[in-house]
Amino acid sequence: MKYLRLLLKSVFRNSLRSVLTVSGIAAALFLIATLLTVLDTLTNPPETPDSALRLISRHKISLMNALPTNYLEKIQGVEGVDSAYGSMWFGGVYDYKGVDQYLGMFAVSTEDFFRVNPDIELPEEQKEAWLADRSTALVGAKTADRFGWKLGDTVHFKSNLFPVSVELKIAALYEGGADQGGGVYFHWEYFNQAMQNNGIMGTFSIRAESAQAVPLVAERIDSLFNNTTQPTKTETEKAFMLGFVEMMGNVQLLIGSICLAVIFAVVLIAANTMAMSIRERVREIGVLKALGFQSRHVLGLLVSESLLLALVGALLGSWGAKFVMGAIDMVTLSGGMIQSLDVNTVVLATCACIGAAIGLLAAGVPAGRAARRPVLDSLRHV
Amino acid sequence: MKIPLKYNLRSLWVRRTGTLMTGLGIGLTVAVLLTMIALVNGLVSTFVSTGQATDVMVMRKGSASEPNSWFGRDIYQELRLLPAVARDEGGEPLAVGEIIVVINHPRLNGDSSNVMVRGTSERGLVMRPEVGLVEGRMFRKGVRELIASRSLSRRFQDMALGDTLPIAANEWTIVGIFEAGNTAYSSELWGDYDEIAQVWNRPIYSSVTLRAQSPEDVDAIITAAEEDRRFQLDGMRQKEYFQIQTASAVGIITLGLFVAIMMGIGSSFAAMNMMYATIMARFPEIGTLRALGFKRRSILFSFVVEAIVLALIGGVLGCILAIPIQVYAWMTGPMGSMNFITFSEAVFNFRITPFIMALGMVFSLVVGIFGGFFPAFRAARLKLIDVLRD
Repeated sequence: MKYLRLLLKSVFRNSLRSVLTVSGIAAALFLIATLLTVLDTLTNPPETPDSALRLISRHKISLMNALPTNYLEKIQGVEGVDSAYGSMWFGGVYDYKGVDQYLGMFAVSTEDFFRVNPDIELPEEQKEAWLADRSTALVGAKTADRFGWKLGDTVHFKSNLFPVSVELKIAALYEGGADQGGGVYFHWEYFNQAMQNNGIMGTFSIRAESAQAVPLVAERIDSLFNNTTQPTKTETEKAFMLGFVEMMGNVQLLIGSICLAVIFAVVLIAANTMAMSIRERVREIGVLKALGFQSRHVLGLLVSESLLLALVGALLGSWGAKFVMGAIDMVTLSGGMIQSLDVNTVVLATCACIGAAIGLLAAGVPAGRAARRPVLDSLRHV
Repeated sequence: MKIPLKYNLRSLWVRRTGTLMTGLGIGLTVAVLLTMIALVNGLVSTFVSTGQATDVMVMRKGSASEPNSWFGRDIYQELRLLPAVARDEGGEPLAVGEIIVVINHPRLNGDSSNVMVRGTSERGLVMRPEVGLVEGRMFRKGVRELIASRSLSRRFQDMALGDTLPIAANEWTIVGIFEAGNTAYSSELWGDYDEIAQVWNRPIYSSVTLRAQSPEDVDAIITAAEEDRRFQLDGMRQKEYFQIQTASAVGIITLGLFVAIMMGIGSSFAAMNMMYATIMARFPEIGTLRALGFKRRSILFSFVVEAIVLALIGGVLGCILAIPIQVYAWMTGPMGSMNFITFSEAVFNFRITPFIMALGMVFSLVVGIFGGFFPAFRAARLKLIDVLRD
């Protein structure tokens, strides 16, 4: 600690260079923090006690094949199932200021909807109002904000999947749920009517009685329909969501490689800066050693200086990312794909570690060389 | 009067370790950038190069893609007999009605994805000259047989020649492999229309493709298809249909732009650091240059050029670094990602072209200008008297 003043003096000796180095490292760590957060958000959807109990059943061939609606009753009768509802992806399209916006919109059977989704939060009277009227919609607060919808508004929704469009009055706004307030739900009966009673169901959302029952429920449902012409595939909500990430291909590999390349580039750049800074100080280092400082002291000082710069850069970058991600409207930016990006503690800690590694690696070679240099040689240096 | 370029080159050579490290730092940035552009390019060029100029696709109104579209079979008969539709030697209209279904199947690495299956007929092959059978034979009518694109067979399980592909309770045999070049058809399995419509229990068409007699007739067909009020249909140029799907690349483009901007800023700071250091070490030299009569703007120009050369060294290193990435991509075969419009796998080739490398060099040029300007400005503003007294 007693060397702190000396350390700070060295850092501010060429403050322009220090600022540039810190900014460079900060830019890189901002990038890494954001990429790691995107990866984490995609591959680790938040799991709550409620979401861990949910399963989703779809047609075995693919999500683009519908299932018979009478499967709902059969599923509700399966041992270990607490409740279940059917839902159909509507392919909802909303014309917002002349541009078609795609919505996460579902037609759902409402009977057990809130029993399966107790994490959907909304005022009781709004819940009643939505359940009571078939021509109304339950809209996520984030989606409503995005398009400026208010309770009581009537909104026209087109579909890119069905030859119908629906007019729905917004009866309720919710927060939370699996989509964190980013979806639109309306009555399946209303959809079925619009489809001239030709309505279909794409998936069934199921709540298991207990965590232990989850894998058993999946197995029982699938074996129930296994030998029919419309077999099912039932998996946990989390596995179902991860299926979409799998479809995107090697996202993990791509983001991982970018991060590695960025780290490597930053190490090179920071090492070069440290080398330049040390080269200018050869005489000074000679003086320090002549005064009785030992090689390890000198090495310690130089490495700490590099560590300090890299850590400050890493902190600025990762906290900057946290601040920026919190401030921007992710829903609009990603077209509703990502609800929010939160740079979490794990990512912040990872960034600090990366910063420390950059500092150590960058200082290693030049500082070692400077510390080992004979005093006489250093003092003679011009 | 201009300061000779040789002066800058020698200065960079004297500090070669620093030059090389800064250059490598910028080079890595350029390599990352080239990779991202190559991915976008691969995906986009696949869609842009698909489709025939005289072909029209008819789908259900409002459906953006074939898997989302379906309409009754009776419409097909009316559409194919439109007067503007071209006919073959036998007088038969050049038209094909097809069904698209999507299956979820594991890739070779175990991850699952959606794959489009096109229920078509001999006519589908005739109308798409870019698709050619290269191994095995064509699927037969009324049998559970499929032909797979070479790209899919190299990327997914159970899709090689002779394999049995299980789809729900049914088993389909892969009897042929087709090549479709760099087009969207490289992401499809093809089978007999009647068999697929029957097994899926969907007696519908997803799309009807019609060839116009001449480019001028294309609009006539589109209007005729859309005007008929009995059917709610959209007509679209085939080229346009596939062009819209380039929107699938938007995720990679956003990611690439973000990486490019952040890394561009980081690299510029690195170049700036390097340039400030070299200029500060050269105050006496700069004073001498001024004393010799070189103008301030010559000095400004000279140091910006030095920074550009430094960054361009990085650009060249980046292009060299990108070569092994390209070789690796060749060895591992085609890449794939999700096509958000059809909600299924889009297979594409990762390709770094000379144009992409040129873009990388432009990027490093910008880094050089941005990184060099402020230090050079500082050098140019030095007072002659101060420097010489130093």
